This record gives sequence, C-alpha cells and structure tokens, in this order.
Amino acid sequence: MTRRDLYRLGSRVLGGAIKLAVAVPALAFLVSPLRKKVAGQGGASDSGGSMETLTSLSQLKVGVPRSFPVIRDRNDAWVTYPSEPVGSVWLIRQPEGAKPEVIAYSAECPHLGCAINLTTDAREFLCPCHTSAFDFEGKPKNQVPPRPMDRLDVELTAETDPKVRVRFQKFRTLAEEKIPLA
Amino acid sequence: MRNPLADWINERTGYRAFARTFSDQVMPGGARWRYVFGTTLATVFLVQAFSGLMMMLAYSPSSNSAWGSVYYISNVMWMGWIIRGLHHFGAQTVMVLLGMHLVQTLLSGAYRKPREVNWWLGLALFVLVVGFGHTGYQLPWDQKGYWATKVVTNIMGGAPVVGPYIKTIVVGGNDYGNQTLTRFYGLHVGVLPVLLFLCLAAHVYLAKRHGLTPPAHVAPGREENYYPAQTFRNTAVSALVVAIMMGLVLYHGGAPLDAPADPSTPDYPARPEWFFLSLFQMLKSFPGRLEWVGSIVIPGSILTVLALLPLLEKVLPWKVLHFLACMFLFVLVGGAGYFTAAALWSDAHDEGFKEARRKADAAEARARFLASSPQAGIPPDGAGFLLRRDPFTEGKAVLEKKCMSCHVLDGQVAGEQSAADLTDFGSRAWIRGLLEEPSSAKYYGKVAKCDGMAEWKKTSKLTAKELDDVADFVASFAKIPADITPDEWLSDETVVKHPGSEPFQKECGKCHVIDGYTEGGVRDSPRLFAWGSPQWTERMIRKPGAPDLYGYLDPQFQMPAFGRDQLTEDDLKAMIRYLRGDYPMPMDRSSKAASPEAAGNVPAAAGHLP
Ligand code: FES
Repeated sequence: MTRRDLYRLGSRVLGGAIKLAVAVPALAFLVSPLRKKVAGQGGASDSGGSMETLTSLSQLKVGVPRSFPVIRDRNDAWVTYPSEPVGSVWLIRQPEGAKPEVIAYSAECPHLGCAINLTTDAREFLCPCHTSAFDFEGKPKNQVPPRPMDRLDVELTAETDPKVRVRFQKFRTLAEEKIPLA
Repeated sequence: MRNPLADWINERTGYRAFARTFSDQVMPGGARWRYVFGTTLATVFLVQAFSGLMMMLAYSPSSNSAWGSVYYISNVMWMGWIIRGLHHFGAQTVMVLLGMHLVQTLLSGAYRKPREVNWWLGLALFVLVVGFGHTGYQLPWDQKGYWATKVVTNIMGGAPVVGPYIKTIVVGGNDYGNQTLTRFYGLHVGVLPVLLFLCLAAHVYLAKRHGLTPPAHVAPGREENYYPAQTFRNTAVSALVVAIMMGLVLYHGGAPLDAPADPSTPDYPARPEWFFLSLFQMLKSFPGRLEWVGSIVIPGSILTVLALLPLLEKVLPWKVLHFLACMFLFVLVGGAGYFTAAALWSDAHDEGFKEARRKADAAEARARFLASSPQAGIPPDGAGFLLRRDPFTEGKAVLEKKCMSCHVLDGQVAGEQSAADLTDFGSRAWIRGLLEEPSSAKYYGKVAKCDGMAEWKKTSKLTAKELDDVADFVASFAKIPADITPDEWLSDETVVKHPGSEPFQKECGKCHVIDGYTEGGVRDSPRLFAWGSPQWTERMIRKPGAPDLYGYLDPQFQMPAFGRDQLTEDDLKAMIRYLRGDYPMPMDRSSKAASPEAAGNVPAAAGHLP
C-alpha cells in the first residue's frame, strides 16, 4: 500500500465514521415511534387490555344504537391528560334471550378513520367522509369500506341492572382483517 | 449615478457581472408574456417564505397551543390576518401557477432535450409543493386539518407492506398529537424548504444555462435582452398575481380557522383543499381494499408517465409523442375537472353532509367567540378544552345524551318522560311551580314513588304569600358556597330572619332534614341543604342513591348514577353550568343566558371558566 492509498482509504473510513456518527442516531430518532415503548402517543395509556364501563343495560333500548364515549387517561407524547374521551363506541342491545346481549362497534371507520355516525333517518350507519355505509349488523352496505365495522368485546356484570363493559381497541384502517394497533 | 459603496463591493465580488449574465441574456424571439410563469412562481414562493417566517415568530407547534397561536395570529396580532391570509391563498396560487407552468411547458414541448433534467426538477418541485400543502394544512390543529391529515396518513398507511410503518413514523405513533405536529412542522418549515430551495436553485441554474425555449418560428432581427423588456412583463404579472391574492385575503377576511381539533367529534365531514377534491372523489369509486390503487398507483403512474416523457422521444417520433402527450394532458385535466365537479355536486345534494357541516360551522363560530370572550378565553391546557368545557356546547350535548331519555328540557325529551322537567331547574320559578302543583308532569307527576310532595300539598295550609316566601327562600339555597356547613349557614342572621324560613321550618322541615334547623321524620326525603347549588347537583348526578339524597328509594326507582368512567369532571361541570344558564353568549343574540336574571339563580361570578 502506498502512502497515497493510505490517505485515500483513511479519508474514506474517517469520512464514513463522521457520517455514521450522526446518521445512526438520526435514524433511530426518526423511527422511534415504531418502538412499542414510545408508541403511546395520542392513544390510551393502557391500550388493548382493560375493559371500560360505558353504561348500564337498562339505558339501552333493543335494536336502537347509541354511542358512548370511552373515557381514559390519554397520553400525547410528553403530556398526560387525565380522563378524556379517547374514542367512541356504538352499542346495540339485542332482543331478549339473544347471545350476546349487547353488540359493540368501534365508531372509527375501517376505511380511513373518520367517525361513523347514524344516517339522518337513523336506519343505518354512515361515515361522512367517503360514504361508507353499514347496517346494524355492521356489514358494509357499499364497496367503500374494506371490512365490516369493528366489533369490540363486550362483558356484562352480574348485577340486577348489569353494567356494559367494553374492551376498547383501535384497528388498522384499510386492512381487510381486523389488525389491532399496539 | 455613481455609488462608491457599490463600486467598492463590485470590485471585490464582481456581482455586477454576475447580475448581467441574467439581465443581458438574449431572447431570440423577443420578450414574451408567456415566459412569465417561472418568475411569477418565484415571487409567490418568496411571499410564502416571508409570510411563513413571520408566522414562525408567533406560531407554537404543540397540540395544546397550536390552535391558540394561530387564532392569536389571525385575530389579535396587528395585520396578522393579512400575513396568514397571504400565506393561505399563496399556497393555492402556487398550485394554480405550477399547474399552468406545467401545462405550458408540456404544450410547448419544452421538456425535450437538453432540458430533461429541468423538467424532472419541475416535477420534483410539484411533489414538494404538494408536501407543503399537506403538512401546512394541519398546522393550525383545527378540525379541518386534523381530520384531513387523519385521512391522508391513513391512505399512506394503506400502501402494501411498508405503508403501516411509514404511517407510524410520519404520524409519530398510532395516534395524532404533539409528535404529529412537531413532525409536520419540521417538514413544513425545515426539510421541505431546504429541498425546495435546492431544486429551485438547480431549476433556475439550468433554465439559465439552456435559455428559454424559443418559439418555433423566430422572425429574424427580433432579438431583445432580458432586461428590461422581459423583466417588466415578469414584474407586471407578479404584481397582478399578488394583487389577486391580496384581493382574496381582503374578500375572505383572511384564512379560515375551524374549531380546535377534537378527536371525539362524532361526525366531522373531512374534506381536502379544493385542488385535492378530484383525488378525494376518486377514492370513493375505489373499494376500500383497493384504495391504494386510487390514491398511490394512479397519481404515481401519472407522475411516472410525465417523468418519462422526454425519454420517449427515443422510441416514438416527436410528432406522435407530442400528440399523445397533449392528449394525456387533456384527459388528466378533464378527469380532474369531472371528479371535482362530482365531489362538489354530491356534497351539495347530501343532506347528511350539509347537516354535519352546519354543526361544524356552529362549533367554529362558538370556538372563536369563546376564544375572544373575556369570560372564557383559551384555557392553559389547550384550545381543545375551549368547547369541551363550554356549557353551551358540551354541557348541552352531554345533557341531551345522558339525561333526556328521562328528563324534559325546553319541551323536549328523547325517550319517555319519567323524571322532572329540567328547564330552569333550581330557579325560583321552578320551585314556586313545584310548591303549587307537585304532581304536575313538570315536577314529580311522572316519577315513580315520588309522591311525598303531592301528599303534603293535600294538607298544606300555606297561603300564596307564604309559598312565595318559601320559593324565595329555597331558591337562595343554590347560592350557598360549597365550603359552608349548615351551622355556618345558620349563623348568618339573614337566613333565619328570611320570611320564608318560618313556613319552611314548619312544613317542609317535617320531611326534609337540615341539621340543626329542621327535624324531618314524617317521611323519607332528600336533604335540601344547598339544594340546586352546583355541589348539590353534582352529588345528585354522581350519587343519586346516597342516603342524604334518594337512597331511601328502591334501586330500580332511583336515578342511575353517572360515575367518572361515564361522565368526566369537565362534562359534569359544563352540564351543571348549562342548567344554570351560566355561560357567555355573544351580545347580539337573545338567549336565556343573555339575560341571566331570568333564570333567577345565577351567582355573581357567572360566566367564569374554572
Ligand atoms: S373514512 Fe369512513 S368512508 Fe372513508
């Protein structure tokens, strides 16, 4: 190796090291939302697991959907907001004797994430963004949504007037399957 | 005119020679109006950069301060509305001019050799400008920007394989918030401007290197220097464009600012800026799972075709290629026009959309009013709480949702009435009515197992005057502060000396207990101490089954309790204040809150947000 070769190689190596020294941390910095630990931004602090009490059974009329806010502590990066609405859920009570007694749908549209509402005549669900429509069984009524409305787990407590508890989760939009977001 | 200072500088830098390479540029066919696009665009870019820099001095990128700072820029800072308005309409002007520039370049075949690279730089600039639009749209953190961003990033997330990861990185997590804002802000004011500057510099350098594309037939002898003939044309058109922008700003009174972003809005109808309406409409015709075809593949292929144009001359004769290119453009513009019209048409005929938009507009007006109202203002934890704590917005909504399946309010009930009418609840008039006819539907007539008052009425001998006094007396309970005990209350002479005190003690006190004042005992009944005050109503909503309230009723006859997991503190406070008519309203609107005395029970500090 000549002295000139050494200089060339040396410049390459040292130059590369300088670039790496900033590029590696920069890359990690950018993709840090992909790490589970910091991904809690904007979402509920205890995503996935816990059940939320939304109402009691007597408040629901058979076959009439009603929406309820899900109230949780919410993390937004460095801020924690105590008890805030983090999303909403549609509950439909089923006729006497049916199993399950109450069906819960996430109000987040599986299409692109707007909030699903009832139509003006309250006959079906409709998303105001790109006209995704669903019947009360959550089935799509047109081509727009990629999948039915997202059903959530429901649990009734064993009281005389049972409390309706729901496991609130968010799912990936545009996917054909329900893929829960971490 | 000799300028010694300029001479001194020129001697050392040679800037005049450099400037002359621009100004002395020879234009083969003479100066033309059609050459003005580039310069006009550069002018608007400069306006954008400048107004953007100005706003950076006042804007704060965080989910709790963004809306407020934009509101401050637009509504409080001197001529802030002009700065922000220019930036807003400038962005749209850039879109229009860039489109026109592109069309003109394409029609005149100016992408041909040797200008391929410049054509590509132009396309890159176009993509950057779209990026500016998307990132800037959400910076105010208003409803419009929030929901549009949600939709756009979810489209991104729908791309096969890498989509979800890219989306998470761009959004800064699964949900939208501080990290989304800081990222979009960084892109909008840092990354994109640097890229834009690089592309623009290269674009201008190359434009100068190749000169302007001369018209096909140049009359001999029609040669002109760039300066001043072309310069004048450029400046004139630039001035016209800026004048149009200013006109738009004045006409619209600045840029729009929707209500603060609220992720829990049940029905915000998200729509993009008008220049993306065609893409938006196209989305509707793609079934959900093929979304990315409409949103990524189609725009991507259009760009690719455009980018490949200059290379296609190798395979196609120029005449054919040019004809095809023009056809392509024609179809593009036609398609975009068609979809835009379709989007506007379908919204104009959609009652649901119009209703949702009306609600959104009302929220916007209310938010702006509250932000400016001395009785409200933007709370320290963010503009998101402006409406969330507003009795008139949130309190009313919660009341309608939670209470009106049993209670009546302003003549309305959602279900079957099985509880009292809450209109003016707690006011003197309400109490006086109750004392007159407790079994009316307005009071306890429809409430199961609540016939105590009706029974009392049958035997009561109180005169009308005495009933008036009792009503006055009970109405004063609502003003008892939260930190006062019955003893302290009774130690105030005016209480016991109140003309209503004696009849109250004599008749009401037989059932209603107030420690140290009345005995009760005849029948079970709720305690009336501080009845109708915020603290009393709060307890009634949280724990209606408490022993001092309606605990004596069987559970199925009690009002359902609303715990913290179903009703936030903010909602509860807002609801109670709504019932009391305790909220600011614009002066020019007549409402019950505009004349608070009408409700009869508004405390002195009415309208002060906690
Ligand atoms: S987001 Fe619901 S239809 Fe597109």
